[in-house]
Amino acid sequence: MKKVLIIEDDEFLQGLEAGKIKKSGYDVIVALTGEEAMQRITEPGIDIILLDLILPKFDGFEILKKIRETESTKNIPVIVFSNLSEEAELKKAQDLGATQFMIKSNFTLDELVDNIKKILQ
Amino acid sequence: MEEIEKLKCENEKLKKIIEVKSDLISISAHQLRTSLSALKWIFKMFIDGDLGKLTNEQNNFIQKAYHSSEKMISLVNDLLTMSHAEYTSIELNFKEEDIEFLIEQTIFEFSGETNKKGVELIFIKPEHHIPPIRCDKIMVQVVLQNLVENAIKYSNQDGKVFISLNAKDERIEISVHDNGIGIKEEDRENMFKKFFRAPNAIEKENIGSGLGLFITKNIVEKHGGNIWFENPENTGTTFFVSLPIENKNIII
Repeated sequence: MKKVLIIEDDEFLQGLEAGKIKKSGYDVIVALTGEEAMQRITEPGIDIILLDLILPKFDGFEILKKIRETESTKNIPVIVFSNLSEEAELKKAQDLGATQFMIKSNFTLDELVDNIKKILQ
Repeated sequence: MEEIEKLKCENEKLKKIIEVKSDLISISAHQLRTSLSALKWIFKMFIDGDLGKLTNEQNNFIQKAYHSSEKMISLVNDLLTMSHAEYTSIELNFKEEDIEFLIEQTIFEFSGETNKKGVELIFIKPEHHIPPIRCDKIMVQVVLQNLVENAIKYSNQDGKVFISLNAKDERIEISVHDNGIGIKEEDRENMFKKFFRAPNAIEKENIGSGLGLFITKNIVEKHGGNIWFENPENTGTTFFVSLPIENKNIII
């Protein structure tokens, strides 16, 4: 079973995301804060990471940077999943090596799962 | 002299206000989107039966609620574009920009969107190096976003969108081609009008403000450029944007 790490500080949204992804046949682990995320990213067996940008302590960009700098995680696909869409944020995510950029409100959870599926193909 | 100073001062103040307003809109948009995401996802769960079977009447109401949430999300997206456009229309910030990079960035921005629709975005890169062009980066990005967004939106499932970039005679030409629903003869003259949406576009995508191409044309013209489209029968649509590289004759 493929493993998805969800990094999302909004507990309610995180619950909905995790529920849908689990139901679609994935193993799910979650991190609610930037700090927690920094520890979880190196857990073995993670196939893909869903990353929110505004998080307490460390923001999504710092986490993405860390993922790309760490030998064991540098090739894991990362979907930036946020409601920010300013040019500066987009560029930063791209420069730091995000695989995909999705604006939460523009997608349904099924579409999110479809994207995960496609990336992991 | 005193009058001029006074006007200058007033002008600065107004600029500041618009800047603050624009920031305020970005922040509220983020908050709105977060709440709207929750609403949209919950309605979708009801519709999909994830939370138990609905009666016909319940289903009808939830469908309405779902579409309303989609409509609000689209309005928030338009509000952001408009706010950007207004903010920068006060004073376009012309700098030398790498247009090829701006196109690549736009393609990245839509990576999620294309995956969702099964549409493929293909950038046909120029054969020769394209010199930097003098333009307002944010505004040119709005142009690219609008054209690419439309191409994806009005593509059919598993469609292909081709973006090309060329330079000739001191100008660059960008084209965005889709093999989607196309533009009907009778709608051609209205395509760039404010709030206009073609009937076949509404049928394909219920939600939209009819502002995208209007704003796009405005921006292109402020750069001393041209925008036009071609749609040979039943083969989709191609939009072209031509911009001067040096931009000596900027119309503000």
